[in-house]
Amino acid sequence: MRRHHLLLLVLVALPLLVLPPFLSLGLQNTLVSMLVAALFAVSFNLLMGQGGMLSFGHAAFFGIGAFATLHLMLAVEDGLGVPTPLLPLAGGLAGLGLGLVAGYFATMRAGVYFSLVTLALAELLHTLAPQWDGMFGGEAGMSSMRMPWGGLVFGSVLEVYYLSLAWVALCLLLLWAYTRTPFGRLTLALRDNEQRVRFMGYDTHKARLVVFAVSAMFSGVAGGLLAFSNEVANYTTFGMPVSAQVVLHTFIGGSTVFLGPVVGAAVLTLFAFFVSDLTRSWLLYQGVLFVLVMLYAPLGIGGIVELHLRHMRELRWRALAGPYLGAAVAGLLIAAGFVFVIESLAVLFSSDYAVLRRDAGGLPPFPFLGTEWQPLSPLTWLAPLLAMAAGGWLASRAGRRIAPLWDEARRVHTQGGETA
Amino acid sequence: MSTPVLELRDVHKAFGAARIIQGAELAVARGERHAVIGPNGAGKSTLFNLISGMFTPSSGEIRLAGRRIDGLDANAINRLGLSRSFQITNVFARMSVFENIRIGVMARHGIRFDLLRRAAAMRAVNEQAQALVERVRLAGRRDTLAGDLAYSEQRALEIGMTLSTGAEVILLDEPTAGMSREETAHAVELMRDLTKDKTLLVVEHDMDVVFGLCDRISVLVYGKILATGTPAEIRADRRVQEAYLGEEAA
Repeated sequence: MRRHHLLLLVLVALPLLVLPPFLSLGLQNTLVSMLVAALFAVSFNLLMGQGGMLSFGHAAFFGIGAFATLHLMLAVEDGLGVPTPLLPLAGGLAGLGLGLVAGYFATMRAGVYFSLVTLALAELLHTLAPQWDGMFGGEAGMSSMRMPWGGLVFGSVLEVYYLSLAWVALCLLLLWAYTRTPFGRLTLALRDNEQRVRFMGYDTHKARLVVFAVSAMFSGVAGGLLAFSNEVANYTTFGMPVSAQVVLHTFIGGSTVFLGPVVGAAVLTLFAFFVSDLTRSWLLYQGVLFVLVMLYAPLGIGGIVELHLRHMRELRWRALAGPYLGAAVAGLLIAAGFVFVIESLAVLFSSDYAVLRRDAGGLPPFPFLGTEWQPLSPLTWLAPLLAMAAGGWLASRAGRRIAPLWDEARRVHTQGGETA
Repeated sequence: MSTPVLELRDVHKAFGAARIIQGAELAVARGERHAVIGPNGAGKSTLFNLISGMFTPSSGEIRLAGRRIDGLDANAINRLGLSRSFQITNVFARMSVFENIRIGVMARHGIRFDLLRRAAAMRAVNEQAQALVERVRLAGRRDTLAGDLAYSEQRALEIGMTLSTGAEVILLDEPTAGMSREETAHAVELMRDLTKDKTLLVVEHDMDVVFGLCDRISVLVYGKILATGTPAEIRADRRVQEAYLGEEAA
C-alpha cells in the first residue's frame, strides 16, 4: 500500500511540477483554478465525507477567504509588511472566524436542517454583499494588486501557479494529517453515529463545531488563493453556483476517498476548459454526468478506483477486460448519440437558424459537423437514437457479465479477510 | 446499607398526556447486578432513557453516587461514570471493530479534541482498546467493519463499546434480544465476566438470563416499581406473579 501511495504521488506531482512552463497561458490559468477547486473540495469533504455534514453553503467560507485576502492585499499596497506569499493566510483566518460563528448555529442541527441552515447563511452573505461597499466593494466588487516580495514579482501566471501549488500541497498534507489524529478518528464516528458518540462521553455539538471550523478554514485558504490569483472578487463568490460546484466536484470525484474530490475538481475544471469553447451546453453535460454518477457509480471516480485497487488480487482481470471494453464502447455510443441530439437541437433553436428559416420559408437543412442535415428526415434522428439504443443494449450485456465476476471477487476478498 | 450508587426518587415522565413513568423508586447498590423486568409498555426503555440522559424527567431526582444527574446531557452523565448500551445495535458501521472500541477508550483517557498527535501513537489507549476487543472475543474480527459483523457479534461489540469509556455503572438494554439459545448463553457468560467489578443495571426479557445473572430484580409495571428483591423473593411475590409472571405463563 505504501508503495502505491508513493507511486501515485510521483505520477501526479511530477507533471504538476514540470509541465506548466510549457503550457499555454489559458491552460496555466485553468491549472490554478483546478488547484483552488481541489483544495476547496477536499476541505468541503472533510465536513461532508468524514464528518457526515452536507453543507449547501460552503461558498460563504470560500468567499470570505477571498475578500479577507483582498483586504490584506490592499493593506500591503499601502505599505503593510506582510510577505506576499503569506496572503492566503488571511483567507484561512477569516474562514475560521466565520466558520466558528456560522458553525455554532449550523451544527446544532443535523441532516436536512443542517444543510438548510448553511444554505441560508451563504444566501445571507450573497444578498448582503452588494449592499456593503466598505466590506465587499458593493456590486462592482473589490480589486487589488499583488506586490513584489523578496525578489519575486508575482506578475506572471506561472509564479501564481507555483505559489498556489505550494499552498495546496501544504494544506492537503495538513488535512491528511488531520485524518490520522485522535480527533480525525472521532470525526468518522460522528459521521457514522452522532448519538452514540454523545453517549460515549463526548460533547458532540462542540466536536461537530470543530470539524466545521477546520473545514471552513481551509475553504477560506482556497478562496484566498483565488483572490490572490484573480486580484478581484465580487459578491457572486458567495453565490449558489459556487456552493453547488464544490458539491458536484466532491460527489463526482468520490467522497469516500481522501483524494476523490481532487479527482472530481481536476476532471470537471479541465472538462470546462476544453468543452466550454466547443459548446454552450457544457453545463448540461456536467449535470448529466453528475446524475449518471449518482445513479450508476455513487462512489464516484475515486471510489471506483479505490474499489478496484482493494480487489486487485481477487479480480479476474482477463475475464473482465472484454466486458469492460464493451462498457466503454457502450458509453461512447450513448454519449455520441446524446451529444448529437443536444447539439442539433442547439443549432435548430439558434438565432442563426431562425434567419435561415425565415429566408427559406419552411425548415431548411441545418449545418452541423461540416455537413447539412434535414430536420424533418427520420434518418437524421434515427442515427443518434440507434447509437444510443445500441449503447444501452451493449451496456446491459456488459453489466450482466461484470456483476458475477465482482460478486466472486468480493466473496473471495471477505473470506480471505476471515482466515487472515 | 451504604449509599446506593444509583438512586431514583419519585421520578415521573410524561409525554403530553401519556404518563409513562409515575413515581419510580429505585436504589442500585454498588457492585450488584440488578435487573429491571416488566411487561411490554411498562416503561423500561423510558426509564433507561431518563437515567442515561436521553430524556429529562418531568419531576423527581436521579442520583449517581450521590450526585444529581437528572437534566444533565448524556455526554456529561457518561463522564460521571454511567454508560449504556442500546436495544437496537448502535455502532459505528463504517469503522473497524477496534476503532469502535477505541473511541470510548479515548474518552476514558480524556483525549477528546486532540489534533496534535497521531492516533497510532497513543500507546496506552491502543493497548487498552486491543485488550477490550479480546475480552469481548472479537479479536479475530478486529479489523472488520462493524457493519459487516454478524448480529450476535454486533451485540458483543455493543457491550464492548458500553464498557470502553471505563464507566462504573453499566446499563444494558435487552442485551440478548434476538439471540439464539446458544448465543444467549454465550452473552450471559460474557456479561458476567465483563461486569465483575462494576455495577450492572439490565433490562431483559429472557427470564433465564435475569434469574441466572442478577443479584436483585425490580419489577416495573405501569411506570411504577412494584417490587424489588432477590430472584427468590421476586419469584415468590404474589403481586408480581399476578402482574407479570402469571401473565406470561398464561
